[in-house]
Amino acid sequence: MRNLAYILGFVLLATSCQKVIDVDLNEGNQNIVIEGNFTGEDSTVLVRVTLTSSYFNSDPSPTIDNAVVTITDQNGVATVIPSIGNGFYKLTSYAPTYGTSYVLSVVSDGQTYNATCNMPVPVQLDPITYQYFDGFFGNDPGYATFLNFQDPPNEVNFYQIVITENQKTFGNLDQIQTQDDELTNGNYVQRPIFTGDLSQIGDTVSYEFRSVDEVIYNYTSQASDIAGGSNSAAPGNPITNWDNGALGYFNAYGVSRDTVIIQ
Amino acid sequence: MKIVLAAVVCILSMTAFSQDFTISGSVKDSTNGEDLYGAQIKVKELENVGALTNAYGFYSLTLPKGNYTLIFRASGFDSKEVAIELNEDITLDLELSVPKDIQEIGPVVVNAEKENENITSSEMNVTKFTPKDISTIPVLFGEQDIMKTLQLTPGVKGAGEGNAGFYVRGGGADQNLILLDEAPVYNASHLLGFFSVFNSDALKDVSLYKSGIPAEYGGRASSVMDVKMRDGNMKKFGASGGIGLISSRLTLEAPIVKDKGSFIISGRRSYADVFLKLSPNENQRNTKLFFYDLNMKANYKFGEKDRVYLSGYFGRDRFGFSDIFGFNWGNATGTVRWNHLYGSKLFSNTSLVYSNFDYEFSVGGSEDGFGVKSSIQDFNLKQDYSFYANKNNTIKFGIQAIHHTFRPGALTGGNESFNEITLDPRYALEVGAYIQNEQKIGTRFNIMYGLRYSGFNLMGDGKAYEFDEDGNLTDEREYGSWESIKYHQGLEPRISASYIISESNSIKASYNRNFQYIHQLSNSTTSSPTDVWVPSSNNIKPQIADQVALGYYHNLNKNMYRISTEVYYKDLQNQIDYRNGAQTILNNLVEGELVFGDGRAYGLEFQVEKKKGKFTGWFSYTLSRSLRTFADIDNGKEFPARQDRIHDLSIVLMYKLNDAIALSASWVYYTGDAVTFPSGKYEVGGVTVPFYTERNGYRFPNYHRMDLGCTWYFKEREKFEHNMNFSIYNAYARENAFTITFQENEDTGNTEAVQTTLFRLIPAITYNFNLK
Repeated sequence: MRNLAYILGFVLLATSCQKVIDVDLNEGNQNIVIEGNFTGEDSTVLVRVTLTSSYFNSDPSPTIDNAVVTITDQNGVATVIPSIGNGFYKLTSYAPTYGTSYVLSVVSDGQTYNATCNMPVPVQLDPITYQYFDGFFGNDPGYATFLNFQDPPNEVNFYQIVITENQKTFGNLDQIQTQDDELTNGNYVQRPIFTGDLSQIGDTVSYEFRSVDEVIYNYTSQASDIAGGSNSAAPGNPITNWDNGALGYFNAYGVSRDTVIIQ
Repeated sequence: MKIVLAAVVCILSMTAFSQDFTISGSVKDSTNGEDLYGAQIKVKELENVGALTNAYGFYSLTLPKGNYTLIFRASGFDSKEVAIELNEDITLDLELSVPKDIQEIGPVVVNAEKENENITSSEMNVTKFTPKDISTIPVLFGEQDIMKTLQLTPGVKGAGEGNAGFYVRGGGADQNLILLDEAPVYNASHLLGFFSVFNSDALKDVSLYKSGIPAEYGGRASSVMDVKMRDGNMKKFGASGGIGLISSRLTLEAPIVKDKGSFIISGRRSYADVFLKLSPNENQRNTKLFFYDLNMKANYKFGEKDRVYLSGYFGRDRFGFSDIFGFNWGNATGTVRWNHLYGSKLFSNTSLVYSNFDYEFSVGGSEDGFGVKSSIQDFNLKQDYSFYANKNNTIKFGIQAIHHTFRPGALTGGNESFNEITLDPRYALEVGAYIQNEQKIGTRFNIMYGLRYSGFNLMGDGKAYEFDEDGNLTDEREYGSWESIKYHQGLEPRISASYIISESNSIKASYNRNFQYIHQLSNSTTSSPTDVWVPSSNNIKPQIADQVALGYYHNLNKNMYRISTEVYYKDLQNQIDYRNGAQTILNNLVEGELVFGDGRAYGLEFQVEKKKGKFTGWFSYTLSRSLRTFADIDNGKEFPARQDRIHDLSIVLMYKLNDAIALSASWVYYTGDAVTFPSGKYEVGGVTVPFYTERNGYRFPNYHRMDLGCTWYFKEREKFEHNMNFSIYNAYARENAFTITFQENEDTGNTEAVQTTLFRLIPAITYNFNLK
């Protein structure tokens, strides 16, 4: 809606303007940020523990290397994830059991933080297709690729889609595409995916199709909305699976992939 | 209720035994036969005895047998004295004429109120305007706008540029009841708030009640804005209109049968997009951007006792971009009214009102696009009586029933992989009954007391959902057609009193309780047509506002200057806010995304107004707070509402240079809106995310702006008058913040706060004419 008003402002009058201003922010206390990814495809858990930083500061985030990080499976078996420096903790050869929940725990500075995530059974991605489009929104004409899959009928599913086009991966939270099945439950879904410019003959496009927990689906859209300068009436920190006030998320997911060359 | 009825019967029977007779009739404008609302009838021989005409120009006054001199007065008109010998019931219809000297000159600011009515009326904090009052005040695009002018008065605050909404005494934008000929208007904006839906040419007057709200009004927590349309010229054909840069308007009016019936039809169309067609840019050429609206009204007198009115409003905004994107919204209202007079003391009005607001947007072409639709529709039946019992008591009572249909949203798609989705419509019946007496006690004390009962029945067919504390669905149940899901009800006492210390001094006090059963959910910081209305339900309780207010009014220099000072305290219950990250569009479970809390607002309002002379205008200042407390937000810490504007100041000056030229200027200043900004940031998933620690803990920069206007009245002919209006909006090009966003500077990598300003200096020119 804000965009609509901008357009109106510009179109009507061309008198609207933007400028950089000084805003005096109270710098809050530093808060812990934990980003955890358990990728079923390569049996790897990668965790990063950092702190929030001053808003206008462009220095890198402070990292924490002395936390105790563990992952616990449905049977209560806990495995320590060793620190590899620069705030990272990594565990390899940790085989997933799809359809079960995992708990990631971090103990730092006397505080314990836990996050629970369900790791859904990955849904099969069908071959990517593509279609020619005349340009729109001032873009050059070209090809749009289509996501094709059969949504499982008797369950609620959530997906993240990470696109790689000619070695360029759109993997940041605000570039990841999301899909739920609220409007498409049990359907055969065919949906165009746009990454900006349309693809041209000879381009290589790959999809990493992740089946994720609901909390991750919501987190992805909330975090990218906030990161993009949200105009929400109630801007707040995205809802996470972390407890005890930690920021970030823990995502345990399975993957299905496909690649197509436009020709 | 029984006691009240007994009291009515008692007053009725008392009057039957006394030696009293009634003078009743109507007061009209002699030039066009329009009813005069609020004209004063005073009895020269008796102090504090008189009557006011109602919205239909009717008055009734009961006095003991005797000889009297009645003075009929209305502002902007010559007063008339009539001697009567009262020994039977008399009907006295009267026309007041505009004084000669006023007829000859253009730029005169006429006020709807009598000279010291602000002192003597018990109605507190009512702000009245007629379109004439505001004709020279400078406004955006040179388009007269009664809503924008109201925002220059104390306690009324515009929601900011790009917003049509307004806030009254710390209440939310959805807490104002906006009525156009009794029909509720759900979205009073055009072009996303740059214009209001009220076309001044078609309006008779506007009253805004901030406190001491009469019992006849109900349904919103903060205020009532009652807009009345003109009836149309009863004497002869008339045409008026205006041609501006952005929009033009035309009004036609004429008698149906002279002095028996008339009609008025008034239309407006904006054409910003016509200029876009000239643009070299293809995208701009394909942009559609306009609004239109149409006001229509007709009335006819069937005999002496009956009169019927039909009125309607239809307006629509259309915004589109080739066939890629389309967005349109609008209101439609219709009112049928029947006035009937029983004897000379009981005035009845029956209204049947229809109101609809809907929006629709579509994305993509017909093949693979999709569209979203939403609407709210009301049918409203109202029966109001005014009983002019005796010279000291005027009793009003009535009943009302509104059937609401909420269609919160439907998604229709052309693409096969989309399931079409329609959110469950919701149905509700809102009922009200009220009784109120306006009583004069002695010569100095006036009191208005009343009670309103309101009830709200949310009904099937439809589903009701239950949620746990965290907003997760726990249960749902299907209800049949007309089956009650939840009934809410309440009693709303209303009382206001005034004590006249002297001809030029008075104090007034009021208390009122208001229930609000329907609520607007706004999904962004700017108000927009996509804000959804939801009913009270098993999860949403009605909002309740209690307000006490006290005012002191003082007129100086023979009513040349009016000074008013008012203080108020308002307690708000069951206020609504979103959970963090709430999903509001196309969500059947939207009630689970809401959190509930309380609020309070208090303030001091001060105004000095100069009403007469070449130089008129006002200065107003408001010092106020508006705070909210929600258990689920900031751990229950009290935080400022967005509209918590601590200081708010307006100055309006109008100067009549000579018979041809009127100059005007206005200046506003207010504390920036409360807003949530981040207190830190962090990296997650390859992006930088702001870290929020408190709700509305920061402020926008303070807002200020000056507007200038000049109206040049051309030499008038007998049948034709015309003028040219020049205005400059934001004359010193202050860059006020519309939004502030934080973004990374691509060159330096530093995060910066970027402020967007919608309007810098905007000149406008409008030509207005009136064929008499």
